[in-house]
Amino acid sequence: MEELVIRKVKIPDLIQELIKTYKVFLPTKTNGDYFHFNELQTVNEELLSFWDYRNTKISPKEIFFPQTEILFSFAEKMESLGSNRQLLTIILGIRPCDARAISFLDKVFAEPLRNGEPQTPSYIDPYYLERRQKSTIVSLACSNPQITCFCTSLNGKPDGEEGSDIILYDLGEEFLVKVISKTGEKLIDSFAKWFKKATKSHIAKKNKFIDFSLKRIHSTIDCHNIKEKLDESFNATFWGKIHLKCLGCGICTYLCPTCYCFDITDEVRNKQGKRMRCWDSCMFSLFTLHASGHNPRLTYKERMRQRIMHKFNYCPVNFNGIFCVGCGRCIRNCPVNLDLREIIKDIR
Amino acid sequence: MAHDNPYLPLPATIKKITIENEARDLKTFDLVFDNDSQRFRYTCGQFAMISVLGAGEAPIGIASSPMNDGFIQFTVKKYKTGIVTTALHNLYEGDKIGIRGPYGNGFPMKDFEGKNLVIIGGGFALTTLRSLTKYILHENNRSRYGNLTVLVAARNPGEMLYKYDLEEWLKRKDLKLIQTIDQDVKGWTGKVGLAPSVLKEISPSPENAYAIVCGPTIMIKFCIFVLLELGFPTKRIISSLEMRMKCGIGKCGRCNIGPKYVCKDGPVFSHEQLQGLPDEY
Amino acid sequence: MEVERQIRETVKKLFDESKIDVFIGYSEGTLPLKSTTCFITESANIEKLVWNSYCLNNLAVYLPRFFVYDPRKKDATLPRVGIVAKGCDGRSLVGLIKEHQIPRENLYIIGISCDGMLDVTKIKNAGIEIIESKEKQDKIIVIDENRKAMQFEKKDLLADVCLSCQYSTPTVYDTLIGEETQNTKHKIQNIPVAEFEKKSVQERWEYFKEQISKCIRCYACRQACPNCYCKVCFAEQTKPRWIGITNNISDLMFYQIGRVFHQAGRCIDCGACVRACPMNIDLRIFTSKTVKDIKEFFEYEAGVSLEEAPPLAIFKQEDPEEFITEP
Repeated sequence: MEELVIRKVKIPDLIQELIKTYKVFLPTKTNGDYFHFNELQTVNEELLSFWDYRNTKISPKEIFFPQTEILFSFAEKMESLGSNRQLLTIILGIRPCDARAISFLDKVFAEPLRNGEPQTPSYIDPYYLERRQKSTIVSLACSNPQITCFCTSLNGKPDGEEGSDIILYDLGEEFLVKVISKTGEKLIDSFAKWFKKATKSHIAKKNKFIDFSLKRIHSTIDCHNIKEKLDESFNATFWGKIHLKCLGCGICTYLCPTCYCFDITDEVRNKQGKRMRCWDSCMFSLFTLHASGHNPRLTYKERMRQRIMHKFNYCPVNFNGIFCVGCGRCIRNCPVNLDLREIIKDIR
Repeated sequence: MAHDNPYLPLPATIKKITIENEARDLKTFDLVFDNDSQRFRYTCGQFAMISVLGAGEAPIGIASSPMNDGFIQFTVKKYKTGIVTTALHNLYEGDKIGIRGPYGNGFPMKDFEGKNLVIIGGGFALTTLRSLTKYILHENNRSRYGNLTVLVAARNPGEMLYKYDLEEWLKRKDLKLIQTIDQDVKGWTGKVGLAPSVLKEISPSPENAYAIVCGPTIMIKFCIFVLLELGFPTKRIISSLEMRMKCGIGKCGRCNIGPKYVCKDGPVFSHEQLQGLPDEY
Repeated sequence: MEVERQIRETVKKLFDESKIDVFIGYSEGTLPLKSTTCFITESANIEKLVWNSYCLNNLAVYLPRFFVYDPRKKDATLPRVGIVAKGCDGRSLVGLIKEHQIPRENLYIIGISCDGMLDVTKIKNAGIEIIESKEKQDKIIVIDENRKAMQFEKKDLLADVCLSCQYSTPTVYDTLIGEETQNTKHKIQNIPVAEFEKKSVQERWEYFKEQISKCIRCYACRQACPNCYCKVCFAEQTKPRWIGITNNISDLMFYQIGRVFHQAGRCIDCGACVRACPMNIDLRIFTSKTVKDIKEFFEYEAGVSLEEAPPLAIFKQEDPEEFITEP
C-alpha cells in the first residue's frame, strides 16, 4: 500500500471518530510529571497532541500484559473470566522500540512456534492473545532519540517496523502514514477519506527525517556475538563485580518492555476468591526461594547474572532474538545508575 | 475462547488419603477427575500443578502409573513454610482440588525399551520412580524392558514410602528390590547404609543399562559419582530436578537453568544434558 | 576538588596500611548530573573515587549485606569496610550500628561536612535532555542536546532534604574532611510538611491515596532505604499473608503505611526512598511527617547519638503509659 499523509489539525476529529468504535490508548502526561499510556476517556484538545513526547515511563507492555490480571474467579465452582469482552483497541503513538518489544512478547505468550518449529504442546496465553488480536498498533517514528537510546545496536531503528501495524512520521504540519500489516490496512481503509496520497516531497521529507534521527543516536553497545561470549562466561569473575551496586529493586524489570516474569497468586475474601497473575522480578530475593529454604539464586550476583544471561543468551537460544530493544528505561531510572551499557562493555 | 486456557485447572475430588510415613508429613492422595479425565493422559516422570483454591498451586510429581485407570495419585510432603502443601494436608476425603497438567517431559520411555534399568530413589523423591516401576511391571509392558533393579533409600523404616508396594515387589521375581536405611534398627532385614555406598556394593552393570536417580541433591550427586565409576555413560544417567514453579508452562521465568525450563524442557534431564547447563541449582 | 583529593589520599593510605578490605564511595555516573557507587578493593583504583555536587545517594544501604550472618561461614572473619559519609549517611550508619546490623569496629568512616547536594529534577527542562554538565564554584552550567548552555545557582537546585538538613557533619566518623559544622545556613522549616498539616484528615487521606495510586510495587523505596534490611519484608511474607502481591490500591496503601510506620523513630529523612521512586511519588511527605512527630512526641532524632535508645523500642518506668501496649 502506498504511503499517505494526514494533516495534524485533522487528528483530533479523526480520534473523535475512532473512539466511537475503538478503545484508544495514547501517551498522556500524568501528575507525576511523566508520560503514561492511558485510555482516552474524553476527547480533550490537550491530550490529542500525542506526538509531543519522548517516551513513557512504563513501557506499554502493560496494555497487553497488565500488572494484575485476573485469571479466573472461584466460589463453589470455578468460573473463568472470559476475556471475550475485549474491545477493539488502537495503541496510538507507541515508539518503534516498544512495538518491537511487543513482537518479542508475542513469541513468549502468543506464538505456538519456537525458532520456527511447532511446540508440543503449545501453551498460548489466551488473555494476552485476545488483547493482541483485537488491537492495532500505530507507532510513531522517533525524531528525537534520547541520550540513553541505543536501539540501533540491537537491530532496531528509530523508524523500525517490527511489531507495528502502521507507522507515522512527524513531518511538522502533517504525518506521513505508512501501512505495514493487513491489520493496519484494514484500519486505514475504513477511514480512507481522511488521508491523501503522499507526494514526492513528503517522501523526501521522510527520508530526511530518518537520516536526522539516526544521526542523533550516539549511544551504542557492542552486541556482536554476545550470545557466544556469554555461552562460555557463566562462571566468569566479572559477575562478582557487576552486581555490587545493585539494590535489588524491580525498577529495571518493571519498566522494561521485554521483561515478562510473573507470579500467580490466590486471593480470597469471605467465600469468594480470585486467582491472579501479577508482575514479578527475577531481581527480587524471594523469586526462586524453595519451600525447603534452598535458594538457587541466593545473592545479588546470581540474580544479576540471570537477568543478563536471560536477555542476551537464553532468549536468543529460545526465541532467536536478544530481549533488549535499547529503549534506555533501565538506565534512566536505576536509582544507583547501574548502566546496562557499562555491563555489556565489562562482559566484553 | 479459541484456545484452551492453560491456567485453568481441572476439578478433581479426593477419593482417598494414605499417610505414608511415621512423621505423618507425607500423604498420598488418590484423586478422581470430576469431568472428562480423557484430557489428562500422562507418562511416567511428568508432574501436575495441584491447585488448592485460595491457597495456590504446587508442582507435584505423579505417583500413579499411567496404566492406572480411574484415579491418579500424588504424594505430597508438607513443608512448614509451604502454604499449598499445608493446605493440602488439611483436606479430607471428598474435598475438591484442581489439577493442571500434565507438564514436563517425563522419562524417555522409548529409549528405555530393551534396556536394563537401575532405579535409585531416596526419600520421598521415590514418587515418580514408583510410577515408572509400576508401569514397567505391568503385564502389558514388562516384556519390553530388560532387567530391573530398584534401590530404595530412606532415613529409617518409618520413613519408607509405599510400603504396600515394596512388600509386593519383594515377592516378585521380575525385579530385584533392595531397600536400605541410614542406620541399623532392630528388626530391619534390608541393607544398612547410604544410597551411594549400597549402590557401590550392588555394583549394577552399565552394559546396555540406564540408571535413573531421584532424591535429595546430595544423594544424586554422590550416586552419580558411583555410576560414573561403574562405567555408566553420562547420557544414560537420568535424573529429575525440582525447582520453584508457578506457571508450569515455561512462561513465568522462574524455574530456568540456563535456557532450559525445568517445567517445560525437564524435569527429567540426562547427566550429559545437565553438564551442558550452568551450575545453578 | 580538594575534598576529592583528600578522600583519595585517605583511601590510598588505608589500603597501603591494610586497614580495610573494601571501600565504598562515589564515582562518576554515566549520565550527566549523576554519580554512582564504586567499590574499591585496591589502591590502584582510587582514581575512580570522586566528590561532587551529585553525590546524593545514601551509601549506608550497602553495608548490611557485607555483614549478613552466614551459618555456612561461621568462622569467617568479617570484612573491614571503609565508607565515605555525609551528615545524612553518618546518621544512617549510627542507626545501623545501634540496631546491630553493622559492627562499629569493622567500619572506617570518612566523614565529610556537606554543603548540600543537587537535585537534578529541579532543572525543569520540559523534556529537553541534558548531555553535559560542569560545576563552577557555586554555579552549575549545563548543556542540552540542542547545544544550548544554561547556568544555575547551586543554591537554587539544592535537594529538598538538604534544605531542611540539621546535621551536615556526620555524628560518628574516624576521619573528618572539612570542618565540623552544624548546618544552619540552609535551615528552613520543612515547608511541605507544614502545608500538609494544615489539611484535614480527609484531605490528607485523599492526597495519600492519589500519590500511592501511582505505585508499581517495585520496592525501590524499600531497597534504597538503609533501614530496610529485613530478610523477608512483611509485604512479601506468605505465612501469614499480610497483604496481597498485586498492585491493588488497598495493598499498595497498606504497604506504604507499613513501611513508613516501620521507619518511625528510625528514619533520618535522607530522601533515598523518594529519589529511588521511578513514579515520582511524594513519599517524603509521609516519612518526614513521622520524623517531625517523633521529634515532638519523644524529643528524639534518629541517628544522632550512639547511646540514646530509640523511643519506640524501649519502655521506661517514667513513661506515662502503664504498659508497653497501651495506646
